[in-house]
Amino acid sequence: MDVALSTLLSPIILFFALGMGAALLRSQMSVPEAFAKGLAIYLMMAIGLKGGVEMSKNPLTLDVILMLLAGVVLSFALPLIAYIFLRVTSKLSQTDAAATAAHYGSISIVTFVAATEAVKLSGLDSSGHMVAVAALMETPAIITALILAHRGQKREKPVAGSEQGELVREVALNASIVVLVGALIIGWIAGEEGTAQVSPFFVDLFQGVLCLFLLDIGLSAGRGLRQGWRQLSVATVGFGIYMPLVSAILASGIGFALGASAGDVALLITLAASASYIAVPAAMRLALPKANPSVYLTLSLGVTFPFNVTIGIPIYIFLATLVTG
Amino acid sequence: MQMHNKKRIELIIEKMAHKRACRVLEAAGMTGYTVLPAMAGYGGGNRWNRETDISASRDMVVIVSIGDEDKIAEAMLQISDILGDHIGVVSLSSVEVLRPDRF
Repeated sequence: MDVALSTLLSPIILFFALGMGAALLRSQMSVPEAFAKGLAIYLMMAIGLKGGVEMSKNPLTLDVILMLLAGVVLSFALPLIAYIFLRVTSKLSQTDAAATAAHYGSISIVTFVAATEAVKLSGLDSSGHMVAVAALMETPAIITALILAHRGQKREKPVAGSEQGELVREVALNASIVVLVGALIIGWIAGEEGTAQVSPFFVDLFQGVLCLFLLDIGLSAGRGLRQGWRQLSVATVGFGIYMPLVSAILASGIGFALGASAGDVALLITLAASASYIAVPAAMRLALPKANPSVYLTLSLGVTFPFNVTIGIPIYIFLATLVTG
Repeated sequence: MQMHNKKRIELIIEKMAHKRACRVLEAAGMTGYTVLPAMAGYGGGNRWNRETDISASRDMVVIVSIGDEDKIAEAMLQISDILGDHIGVVSLSSVEVLRPDRF
């Protein structure tokens, strides 16, 4: 209960609520687009560096490799479950359901950061390699979703002007993955000593920048919800809330089987329960342009993200402590 | 001052797909085009706005290109294929240009 209250009343969540409330009330407040992009790059660099430094302190063990593999397997498998739920419970088309499912197999790095802070508040320890798990979970879901979207359909010729490898480039080399993985490797190579001189920028300022970013995400989520809610049925909104819980239960089982620490299991659960709203939407516009972006973006950013950062994370931490004893 | 007749194609298209449209224009022999950012809009029952999507995957751009009618007709065949899947609007208009050798 204390963790839930501390999470809800933390400045980052309150700034998110401020942004979302302002957008829903039609406030003209906005964070300049280029500045918001800069904030996102800063956060990816800071998260990657921190994870890399933590990884440099410990050798790469079999347990770590198994955790990385678990993340990949979850990312491949979750869209399949999400797709079945969507097809059974909602009236979404095969393409819309597959595109939406991709978001629920991939991850939200901001939800991950919020969970990292909540895990710390709970007095649990988490490992730096969870950042690598996050990076690995970004893309496999897209492959599953594309298979689901094209299942049973005759192979269409590529859209005019398509270039070989453009989707792979978009997916594997999107800015968030390049910065996150790049910073992780830099942190791993440089270690704690090497990164000490940049830590005033990447460590001390991190929380404040996160507040600014959450304010911007709140504004985006609120405006997206205000403009896109008509596209969502009760069944799809329900999916945006129960799917993270289904993913959380599956991930907690895997965390239990791996025998990982409570902090790491909480983060694995959060990654599984989170839904992408940066990397996957961009890939879906290239790979599945027929899918309706108002459905999947409104659902992942307007429904699942607020649910996860307010109610979900305390549940995931509780689940993790439950399965790790 | 003598002006020369040309055709102007204006394509409002998703930013994610604009490179496909630009490749089509280049392949059709158009000698140039300009890509402009779009701020917000409404279509197909949906409003969109650059401020509502941090992924920028729903951003739209406007591509403007001027050239000979036969080259634009060739490009239009492929562009209609792009617009079969992607969100967008295409329009053609007659314009007059000062330096025809540039197009």
